[in-house]
Amino acid sequence: MARQDALQGSLPLLVLKLLARRGPLHGYAVATRIEGMSDDTLRVEEGSLYPALHRLEEAGWIKARWAKTETGRRARVYEITAAGRRQLESEEVRWKAITAAIGKILKHA
Amino acid sequence: MSFWSRFANVFRTGRLERELDEELQFHIDARIRELTAAGMTREAAAAEVARRFGNPLRLREESRDVKLLPWLDSLVRDVRLGARMLRKHSVVTSAAVVSLSLALGACVAAFSLVDALILRPLPVRQPERLVYLAFPTYTPERPEADTFNDPLFVSLRDAARRRVDLFAMSTQVMRPARFADSGDEKEQVRTQFVSGDAFDRLGVMPAAGRVFAADDDRQPGAHPVAIVSHAFWVRRFGGDPAIVGRWFALEDRQFQIVGVAERRFAGVEPGRPTDVWLPYAMYNPRAFGNFAFGWFRVMGRVKENVRFEEAQSVLQAAFTRVRRDRAAQFFGPGQSPEVIARFVATPLYLQSAATGPSPLRRQFERPLWILIAIAALVVLIAGSNVANLFLARTAAREHEMALRLSIGAGRGRLIQQMLVESALAAGAACACGLLFGKVAAPAVVGMLTSPDDPVHLDLRVDWRFAAFAGALTLLTTALFGIAPALRASRATPMTSLKTSGGRVGERASVMRPFVAIQVAFGLVVLFVGSLLVLSFARLSSVNPGFATSDVLLLWLEPVQRVDANQQRRTLLQVLDHLRAVPGVVAVSSAEFNALGRAWTYNLRLPGTQYDTIEATMAPVTPGYFETMRIPLLEGRAFVARDLDANSTAIVVNETLAKRYFAGGPAIGRTVEARFGEIDEKGIHEIVGVVADARYDLRQPAAPTVYIPLRLRTTGTIHVRVAGDPVALASRLREDVRATTRSFRVTSITSQSAVVERTLLRERLLALLSGFFALIGLVLAAVGLYGVLSYAVVRRTREIGIRMALGARQSRVVRTVLAETAGTTMIGAACGLAGALYLSRFVETLLFEVKPLDFWSLALPLGTLFAAALLAAALPAWRAVRVDPVVALRYE
Repeated sequence: MARQDALQGSLPLLVLKLLARRGPLHGYAVATRIEGMSDDTLRVEEGSLYPALHRLEEAGWIKARWAKTETGRRARVYEITAAGRRQLESEEVRWKAITAAIGKILKHA
Repeated sequence: MSFWSRFANVFRTGRLERELDEELQFHIDARIRELTAAGMTREAAAAEVARRFGNPLRLREESRDVKLLPWLDSLVRDVRLGARMLRKHSVVTSAAVVSLSLALGACVAAFSLVDALILRPLPVRQPERLVYLAFPTYTPERPEADTFNDPLFVSLRDAARRRVDLFAMSTQVMRPARFADSGDEKEQVRTQFVSGDAFDRLGVMPAAGRVFAADDDRQPGAHPVAIVSHAFWVRRFGGDPAIVGRWFALEDRQFQIVGVAERRFAGVEPGRPTDVWLPYAMYNPRAFGNFAFGWFRVMGRVKENVRFEEAQSVLQAAFTRVRRDRAAQFFGPGQSPEVIARFVATPLYLQSAATGPSPLRRQFERPLWILIAIAALVVLIAGSNVANLFLARTAAREHEMALRLSIGAGRGRLIQQMLVESALAAGAACACGLLFGKVAAPAVVGMLTSPDDPVHLDLRVDWRFAAFAGALTLLTTALFGIAPALRASRATPMTSLKTSGGRVGERASVMRPFVAIQVAFGLVVLFVGSLLVLSFARLSSVNPGFATSDVLLLWLEPVQRVDANQQRRTLLQVLDHLRAVPGVVAVSSAEFNALGRAWTYNLRLPGTQYDTIEATMAPVTPGYFETMRIPLLEGRAFVARDLDANSTAIVVNETLAKRYFAGGPAIGRTVEARFGEIDEKGIHEIVGVVADARYDLRQPAAPTVYIPLRLRTTGTIHVRVAGDPVALASRLREDVRATTRSFRVTSITSQSAVVERTLLRERLLALLSGFFALIGLVLAAVGLYGVLSYAVVRRTREIGIRMALGARQSRVVRTVLAETAGTTMIGAACGLAGALYLSRFVETLLFEVKPLDFWSLALPLGTLFAAALLAAALPAWRAVRVDPVVALRYE
């Protein structure tokens, strides 16, 4: 539960960043990358990634297409859009401002 | 993703869900593979993934809501479910839809007539500033007149020049025309004389050529030009632009077509489109400067920034001035000062002409509104039926509702679903109703039309019509949807899921208001319907004073203009020839057909206390009274020598004789009047008195003077025949053609057809309102029956217990009926009050029937109670037949 809460609100930011850096990815890859890169600290309730992805897609920040994987199965692959990059930029700025502010309070309180 | 793709996804949810599943499954499979690769067993891996992944169904629903429009999705699901439910109960549904659509169709049809005839503004520039003039005539037959003569018009126009632009538009008359390609046949076209500036004042543009200008109206008789209407241009000439500049013959004069009026304009009278417009100056030359020739309507456009009251007061002043100057010549020296003062002080009305002046509207406005009201009441009755139907079904579906509530459906969703079902039924009914209305409205217009007075109403679908139909659908949905919907949402899972019986009384009481509504409205509809039917029955059984059967009317028209004396001789020859035809009993000619139009003349009766009296004047040939079977009471009828120029014989009717020569004999008395321009002396002697014959079935016979038909060129030949009139008609037409070339028979009708035609309005109204009263009655009875049988079914167990305990049959019947008997009485009382209140709107249309007459009240009340008894009989019988053993095992 605790680990999930840590992700609250920041999942879209992470997904956008990941897609911006690592190019088109399917949902499973997004989930494993987030876990792997955060040394398992940020583990999503895996399924909830999908409604989040679909919301981003609905907002027009990412787009999806069906692609064949190495194993020959159909996978839905997501890619960031130009609008998504702009959103990522402003989200990042906001995130940094918030964490900086929280850090300041933790330090000086 | 755009709105549209989300919108589209609503309608391909199957594919959407498959794709979502596939995406989630890919993830699950990949994770399982990873875990098994790390050494887990397949089962353990699957369990671990299921734990970590979450509920795929919930996730799918969440994503699904993102990808489509959830509100629309739920609506579509409800529509599908609703359609399935309605199909399942197809008999009940179709009964509801049919009864509703019939009533809705009637509403829609009546409204499209109202729209075309009453509501739609004239398609001209700023119609709201258009006016027409009218004044009271102080006669009961025609309380208001709007025909003016030339000198009065000129005075008014010049006096008000700075405030209102007055122009003239004549009454429309069918006239025979012959075009280059007509051949021998003459065509009847509807003509109208208009002042040169009329098109300009109205703001009507030409579609081809030009419209009239002030220059087309300078000198009487000097402007043989014509404008044709767009509809006529298309109908008659196929829209050929080359007709501009062509000449054609109208009656015996040549006119040149100079233009076609723009498409949307068809004259100022809704229902009576003009075919050909002619300049004012081309009217009968004797009309100009002549106060005795009233032949046109005065219309006007009030100038910008001028108030209507201001324009009216200026016109009033001019009108009064003219009347004061005229009074001396108009009345004899002996006229009473009050009548002269009233004549001078006659008000001049400035009426709005935004929708065009229309006698057709005056005649049919009230009937149409009454029909709409009746149809609306039938909609309410049918709607109440459907509401009860849905209520009963809601009760039957309480289990379903309770189940849905208990697994988490919101009450809002249940209401939505029930409303969607109602809307589906209402929508279907409205669609059927629109179709029905589209057929019915032109059929009614068709009944109004006749060859000599065609009626064309533009029954198009415009925004007003669409708004009306839409509002009607919404109203019906709300009417019968809301109660069942609220009822459904109040389902309580606890009690409903436990038992299937339960609070019976409460449920029946939900239906009770609808029963009361049905009974009340049913009674109103029946009451109004039976008033109109009774009135029509009385009117058709009126004795007109002449025999209407076995009389054929031959309408004549001169072919060439010859000397009037010559014309008369020919007419008499024709009559003689026809008299010799086998099967012909009597032949005569009259200028006006009885029940047609007749002139009213002012007469002086020397030697009586009356100075001037008004009387109907009817020129007839000898043999007329015999042909029409009008009994001669005293003296003699006309004979051949009365047709000589020096004869002074006239015949009067009983009413005139009794009213003005009370006590004394009428024979031998003198009447002074000028019946025609050729009649120099103006002194006549009464030689006979005949029984009264009505010229208007609705009115008692007016004082009437019959004069010998002397120098009238056309008349209508009246032929009394023995045997089949239809078979003789063509023979008579042939005979006229063989005898003369100077006139021709335009049409042959029977006198009874003329009678029927004069009763057209009453007949239509009686037919339609009677029909809807019947539908309303049947629907109300069906509604009552439904509620009662439902109550019996729901209380089967209770009835069984009562009977097992020894209750008598009459007691059981009383229990069943008691519930609705009170409701019916309350409904009937409310209905009666409403009906009596509303009867005042119908009263002016009634003939010798009063709303408070015995029959007016007894007929609808008796019918209603009889229907209610009939509706109650079957359920009561069923209640009596309940077998206690079966009933108690029923649960």
